[in-house]
Amino acid sequence: MSAAVGGGPRAPAVPASPAARAPAQDEVLAARLRHRVAAQFGRSLHIRTLDTGSCAVCEQEIRLLAAPHYDLHRLGFFFTPAPRHADLLMVTGPMIRAFGVAARKTYEAMPGPKIVVATGACALGGVYQADAFVYGSVDGILPVDVWIPGCPPSPLALLQGLLVAVDRLAENVSGLSFTAGRAGAGGPGEASR
Amino acid sequence: MPLWFARGLRRGIVTTHYPSRPDSSAAGLPTPPAFRAAAIDGRLADRLAEVCPSQALYRDGGVLVFDVGRCTACGRCQEEAPGAVLPSGEFELAATSRAQLVKQIELVQQAGR
Repeated sequence: MSAAVGGGPRAPAVPASPAARAPAQDEVLAARLRHRVAAQFGRSLHIRTLDTGSCAVCEQEIRLLAAPHYDLHRLGFFFTPAPRHADLLMVTGPMIRAFGVAARKTYEAMPGPKIVVATGACALGGVYQADAFVYGSVDGILPVDVWIPGCPPSPLALLQGLLVAVDRLAENVSGLSFTAGRAGAGGPGEASR
Repeated sequence: MPLWFARGLRRGIVTTHYPSRPDSSAAGLPTPPAFRAAAIDGRLADRLAEVCPSQALYRDGGVLVFDVGRCTACGRCQEEAPGAVLPSGEFELAATSRAQLVKQIELVQQAGR
């Protein structure tokens, strides 16, 4: 394997067998595909929101995105009521079990390529644990591409999440350590008191 | 109508320039906590995990695990230990994989044990 890579300037584009493909190479291919999908969306992306049992505060923040202060249309994002017109599914709430079929149908009705964004602490598994009534998080039902934490996420956080979803901003959170008082490490240095 | 026009001219553009320039309203947002790791031992970590209403904090041996995705920025851990837990001021928290949101905070070894 290493001899084959070292022999030429580039690794072969197609590996001999799927089993021989390293997981790291899969990651690279996935990243390249994601970038191509994001480039396809360019500056026109239609969003369908899906409330799977949220308290509606996430919806209030999403609604504020269209208000003059945030004005997400200037960035080429639009809301659509029809999943068949949507490129991005913005899911809020802890995904109640009664909504599982509807969520699946909404996802399947969207044309590909499609992006799923889990929005808010409920959708990320924070507030409700999985039990007889809720799945507890969105990724139990739908394949999530971008996670936006917050209770609720502010419109600025939502805007950043949408821009991350279409690759126009790089994600920021993996570099944060959430420790204060330690120099460097990209952590939040000046935590206000 | 002329009054609106005059007011609009006076106030200028209200729309944020957010991705290209920082937004001034971001400073007032509630944000997830940042931990002063040197001030947190196992006992305090257990207390913090107990007050967290959304199970975002839990202890795993000598490490306090902080799941940013579960955090609701309620501020109860900051009330419990004002010197050791501070607001982080971070709101740009979107992640492309769930594991990016799980942070490990090394605890101080307890002297008694």
